[in-house]
Amino acid sequence: MIEKREALAKMFSAKGSKINTNRGAEYYDSLMQTMTKRLAELEQTPAASKASIESVLEAEGLTRRDFMKWASAACAALMLPSNFTPLIAQAAVLMNRVPVIWIELQDCAGNSEAILRSDAPTIDELILETISLEFNETLMAAAGHAAEAHLEEAMHTFKGKYLCVVEGAIPLAMNGLYGTMGAKAETYKDHLIRVAKDSAAVVAVGTCATFGGVPAASPNPTGAVGVQDVVKGKAIINIPACPANPANITGTILHFVLTGQVPELDHLNRPKFAFGYRIHDNCERRAHFDAGEFVEEWGDKGAQNNFCLYKMGCKGPMTFNNCSIVRYNSGTNWPIGAGHGCIGCSEPQFWDKYAQERPMSDTHFKAPTGGVEKTVDQFGLGLITAAGIGIGIHAVASLVAAKKEGDE
Amino acid sequence: MSYKKIKRMTAVMRINHWVVALSMIVAVVTGLYIGHPYYQSFIADPAVDKYVMAWNRLAHFLVAIIFDVSSVVVAYLYFFSRFEKPYKKLLPTGKNMAEFVAVLVNLLTLNRVKQFDSSHADSFNAVFFFVFHMLLAWMLFTGLQLYVHGLGSGLSSIGAWWPAILHLTTDWTVGVSGGTYMDVRISHHYSMYAIIAWAIFHVYYQIWRTIFWKEGDINIVVGGNKFVEEK
Repeated sequence: MIEKREALAKMFSAKGSKINTNRGAEYYDSLMQTMTKRLAELEQTPAASKASIESVLEAEGLTRRDFMKWASAACAALMLPSNFTPLIAQAAVLMNRVPVIWIELQDCAGNSEAILRSDAPTIDELILETISLEFNETLMAAAGHAAEAHLEEAMHTFKGKYLCVVEGAIPLAMNGLYGTMGAKAETYKDHLIRVAKDSAAVVAVGTCATFGGVPAASPNPTGAVGVQDVVKGKAIINIPACPANPANITGTILHFVLTGQVPELDHLNRPKFAFGYRIHDNCERRAHFDAGEFVEEWGDKGAQNNFCLYKMGCKGPMTFNNCSIVRYNSGTNWPIGAGHGCIGCSEPQFWDKYAQERPMSDTHFKAPTGGVEKTVDQFGLGLITAAGIGIGIHAVASLVAAKKEGDE
Repeated sequence: MSYKKIKRMTAVMRINHWVVALSMIVAVVTGLYIGHPYYQSFIADPAVDKYVMAWNRLAHFLVAIIFDVSSVVVAYLYFFSRFEKPYKKLLPTGKNMAEFVAVLVNLLTLNRVKQFDSSHADSFNAVFFFVFHMLLAWMLFTGLQLYVHGLGSGLSSIGAWWPAILHLTTDWTVGVSGGTYMDVRISHHYSMYAIIAWAIFHVYYQIWRTIFWKEGDINIVVGGNKFVEEK
């Protein structure tokens, strides 16, 4: 009940949904000044990481032209006018000045993997290689006490300046003992609060870190929650999806490098430039939805003709993300393009409420009466049947009673 | 034995009733299709010639608007009806509660006990219809919430004020129904079944009263009158 009330209060304070893509010359002029000043300041600071975007691009055989093409695309993705492109390119070069502490909690490291393990890394992914990654359990060579000492040192050196990137949910059940870290068995909760405390901003990457994700799925044995339920009084940016799209992570960090501020967020603290649009509205199969042409089963004629996947449980109509525009793996493809419906992975409670291969009315949810899972239709038809039986009994009894009275 | 004719509904009120009934049937038929398309389009037709889902959604929105306007008329009648004003029967006064119980007793005792004045709308019916109107209001708010998801950019062809006002008036349904957009959908679908169950009982009860009270109640919504025995 208290949770619902909090959710209600939050809804009433939602910042509206309007995405303003043209704010006028005055706004952009002042923004350009802010960004130029910020980048000039950053340039004066020593590079915290030896990796530079030039060397990384060269190693991958990419040209300056590829890089500038990326910069103009990133500029458009951040909804800035095209004259900001040189600033974006400069910001990407200065990415190695912004220290990042990346902590890993209760999850599968899928977000790190999505960025790091690809065959042909995109420029988005390469830029993440050049950020000054001060601490990352998955990547760093150090272990044990050395790693802990390194974290302490990074937090101390870059106090108030580093970005705290969090991957994974926070287990709260049993006083958080489902997840502990290091020789002193610090719980994930304490660890997160400690690292987030001195950060400039907290970036929750992936659905586990934002809303609890798969670990928080019913019955949620570990009491998993997202970062925003644990860290209070800090700027939190949520970049959900399973895994989070590297383009959106880069975009958010770029925005921070450019302005020193967090991007405009929606009511779930997701950047509007990435989560402002519904998958359904930019889907290449949308025409088939409107025409009523649906895939009825895997591999049928409809599937061969790229029909709409709504009846196979696609949750594009209820999911806000830019997959249908940006796609994954350098724009190669995305789930719906590959022939499987959207599972709503960037929405809260997605595993329980969205990720099924059936439309909503056929999906097994907890019935309002609790207990056994039923589909909405089963519960509804049960309700109607009960009403019908009740009416039948009442009708027959009324007739019998009236007949008796008549006989008397 | 003579009967007195009692005027209960004007022609406008009766038309309103049947408009609501028809809207409900169309809303259920199209709504079930939107939730789970249960028939197939004509596959041989080119996609440009058919908009089966779009037509269903259009019909669903149109009847929803008609439904809502009718409900506004009914809401007006709650306070300004020439007949028994429904709001007076809804107030939890001792008299109303006694009448509510008396009508319920009449139903449960299969018409063997009937100790209330059945010539005008009673408290039991007033409460019963109030439940229906609350369900309709819930459908209105959740339905518009689902609708505004399609205006994700915050813009619409009639201006930014429209999605803004929809967010302002319907965003609370997300929190109330469980916290996600999917919960709004689930709740909208469950509520449809509650409304169908309500309609089934409503039709049964009106027929039951006509048969057992012998006062021609079914005619209220056809001819506008019912008949009560003069004592």
